[in-house]
Amino acid sequence: MMAKTQYYVPVGPIHPALKEPIRVEAEVEGERIVRVDVKRGFAHRGIEYMGMKRNAIQTLYLSERICGICSISHPYAFVIGSEKALGIEAPPRAQYIRPIIAELERIHSHILWLGVVAHEMGFDSLLFWTWKGREKVLDLLELLTGNRINYSVFMIGGVRRDIKESQIKAIKDAIDFYRIFTEEMKNVFLSDPVYKARTRGVAQLSREMALKLNVCGPVARAAGLRMDVRQDNPYDAYADIEVRAIVPQDIVGEARGDAYDITLVRLYEIEQSLDIIEFCIENMPEGRIMAIPNYVVLLSKIKKTKGEAIGMHEAPRGEVVHYFKYDGTRDGPAVWKVVAPSYNNINSWAPLLLGAEVADIPIVVAYIDPCMCCNDRVAVVRDRDGRIMDYSLIHRKAVEKTMRLKRELGVRA
Amino acid sequence: MTPEFITYAFAFPILGVFLGLVYKGIDRRVSARLTSRIGPPIRQPFWDVGKLLLKETIVPENAVAWLFNAMPLVAFASSMTLLLYIPFGILKAPLEGYGDLVVILYLLTLQSLAMAIGGFASGSPFSSVGAQREMVLMMSYEMPLATVIVGFALVYRSFSLTTIATTPVWNMVGPLAGIGILLLLVALLIVTPAELAKLPFDIAEAETEIAEGMLAEYSGRNLALFYLSDAVRGFAMAAIEVVLFIPFTLSSIFNLSLTGPALYIVEGLWFLFKVLVVYLLAITLVRTSFARFRIEQASRVFWVYVNIIALVGLALVWMGV
Amino acid sequence: MVNKMMFVLLKQLVKKPATNPFPVKHAPKNVTELIEKVQRGEVKINPPVPVPEGFRGKLVYDPERCIGCQLCIKVCPADAMEWIPELRKIRHYVSRCMFCALCVDICPGKKFPGEKKNVKALRMSEDFLLADYDKYSDSLIEEPPEAKEGGV
Repeated sequence: MMAKTQYYVPVGPIHPALKEPIRVEAEVEGERIVRVDVKRGFAHRGIEYMGMKRNAIQTLYLSERICGICSISHPYAFVIGSEKALGIEAPPRAQYIRPIIAELERIHSHILWLGVVAHEMGFDSLLFWTWKGREKVLDLLELLTGNRINYSVFMIGGVRRDIKESQIKAIKDAIDFYRIFTEEMKNVFLSDPVYKARTRGVAQLSREMALKLNVCGPVARAAGLRMDVRQDNPYDAYADIEVRAIVPQDIVGEARGDAYDITLVRLYEIEQSLDIIEFCIENMPEGRIMAIPNYVVLLSKIKKTKGEAIGMHEAPRGEVVHYFKYDGTRDGPAVWKVVAPSYNNINSWAPLLLGAEVADIPIVVAYIDPCMCCNDRVAVVRDRDGRIMDYSLIHRKAVEKTMRLKRELGVRA
Repeated sequence: MTPEFITYAFAFPILGVFLGLVYKGIDRRVSARLTSRIGPPIRQPFWDVGKLLLKETIVPENAVAWLFNAMPLVAFASSMTLLLYIPFGILKAPLEGYGDLVVILYLLTLQSLAMAIGGFASGSPFSSVGAQREMVLMMSYEMPLATVIVGFALVYRSFSLTTIATTPVWNMVGPLAGIGILLLLVALLIVTPAELAKLPFDIAEAETEIAEGMLAEYSGRNLALFYLSDAVRGFAMAAIEVVLFIPFTLSSIFNLSLTGPALYIVEGLWFLFKVLVVYLLAITLVRTSFARFRIEQASRVFWVYVNIIALVGLALVWMGV
Repeated sequence: MVNKMMFVLLKQLVKKPATNPFPVKHAPKNVTELIEKVQRGEVKINPPVPVPEGFRGKLVYDPERCIGCQLCIKVCPADAMEWIPELRKIRHYVSRCMFCALCVDICPGKKFPGEKKNVKALRMSEDFLLADYDKYSDSLIEEPPEAKEGGV
């Protein structure tokens, strides 16, 4: 009997390597992947549509829920864009508080990624250790904003919470802690023989391929492209800081664009974030924190506004772009469009997985730090005969199903 | 077939399973403490086995059912037999005289083989990939493992484990061969996690890559049997290492002259302590502080580096004896 | 067979675990028994990690201070507020709340005679242990007592 030589290995939508739903279908010969297909669209939630039905303040906090981990990136892009459309500017103090929160979040997101990628190669002790270190920045964010994730501190034209003198001391303590911790992490990650063996040459993206695939964020920087929204299109306090994109050729001389380089980029970006926070707390001007403190006034101003704008922010995963159009008839965006970094970065999976090994799937999947719920923007539903079902039909069917389930389960209406 | 022999034959496996699970509990606990967690209670593996035995055993639709169900039994039986070949401190192995180190080598292999066949029989792509990996890994680490055993045969002119246990290897050899034996120890320590399918060589069961691989389709009683044989194998492997490399008895170190039950209790506890130390250093610490290799990297590690270490060790032993 | 991680781990071995064993160190055999024991004071529960000042926990509603302006309903992103027209008060579903505290920011509150400043009808407490089987259970709905009695 001839043994079967090709196996079909489905990864996802539910798989131990994936924390969010996406499907990678791989045809495997021995350990080598000979055919690969990436299917997305398991986490479409219709957030943009919901946002266009609500007022701008509600939508701002809805945008925070686009991504569970970079929960300040989307609001950041949202407030930047909205402020441009409304023609208001946040007070200087708010412009310094925002980067502090955003950079703290970058630290926690990068440490999270380092832990996840360690877990993907079975290095669970490293996962526990890095996440233990991450706890401190979450505690700090809780102290500054009142919650560990979904901080809800940004507001169109400012921030909602000021940073007090006592909190500045806590921030400084955390910076000292992370200076040491990052140094330790660099030691452990970059010197570990197995980590190096598993990441060197895996998920290798050349400069040309990175440009062709339109990747962004740390993935592009690891391939040697000097791109960073904070550098190319500075906003808020970033304009005073002159952020420079971290690329591996500045650190080790050459950029190979593999998973090892991306680790390097992320580790050094944590240090860069610490520098930015330090600059911000030292140079924070005094003053108000909101341009329009009254939400009712703000909403009525939005209702009178006509205009469109784009807001951009460098999220830990890459650039987040929000487009708005305010048409002057309602107090929320008439059109709201979100572009999340994972959307571009997931494009790199198929070419990178082709010819790779089964063992590389988790690393290729994890190296871009994918956020599936960020990137599903459209869902096309077809019925059994392949006809596209329109919105009203799906809605009717959903209502019918809910009613049926409620009846069957005897749930209180 | 003396009554003593039959008592041994029943008591050893039961004791072995008990100790295997206790050591697994300690291993999990220490591993948790290494990673700054509290960890499960030490009796947790017993609960795990009990719970698995209560659960439904599911056989996948496209599995070869008889093979799929037989393999856990084979693995369990071979690990039980393995226990009967290990001299417990100063106690003699029950099956002494019926087999030697080579049988132990094959019994260890048989378990991996049973898991691989079970993986192939379960008909899931993840299991098949896992089983393929297990076969490749087995082929890689058999050679250094065999080299270690040949090295011992050279020293003792015999494969019998009891002979080896009675005279410490370090008394048999000169300084040159001593270095050789040390190299063999290093080789065996590197093979240990691969033999037990633990990190950094748990490639065949990689959770994030192939969803537990060979074990993906196993559940209930079958999984419990694999779990037990895994626990026993961990204990047995550490015990073999102790017998081979640190056979010193407490009485020989301190010149004690114990007799009767006291001797057996003290020496038994001393043996268990030695096994625990080897277990924690060779298995727990290593599995906690390493990432998983890729299969071809693991093969290279064994075929090139570990083989060189083992062969140099063998050559030194050959020259020294 | 030695890497830097090993030293990090061995250092952690001698330190206390980072886990806060809340509410007890290991899962009890019988949860109800544990709860009874805690109520009798036989077992002490390990407290959770304390929350910092300004933590946004469960929303607390004081209907006495509510003037019925409906501003909180206007800004609430999660539609967690319900207007009770009969009483001109609100009802808050904690199970829907997303803890953004916008309603607290916008609430004008009311001044009782003798007070200098307005006191808000809504505030964030430090209560965060909100797990419940029923999302409409009494502890997860904040409403005026009349609404509960009157059944509106």
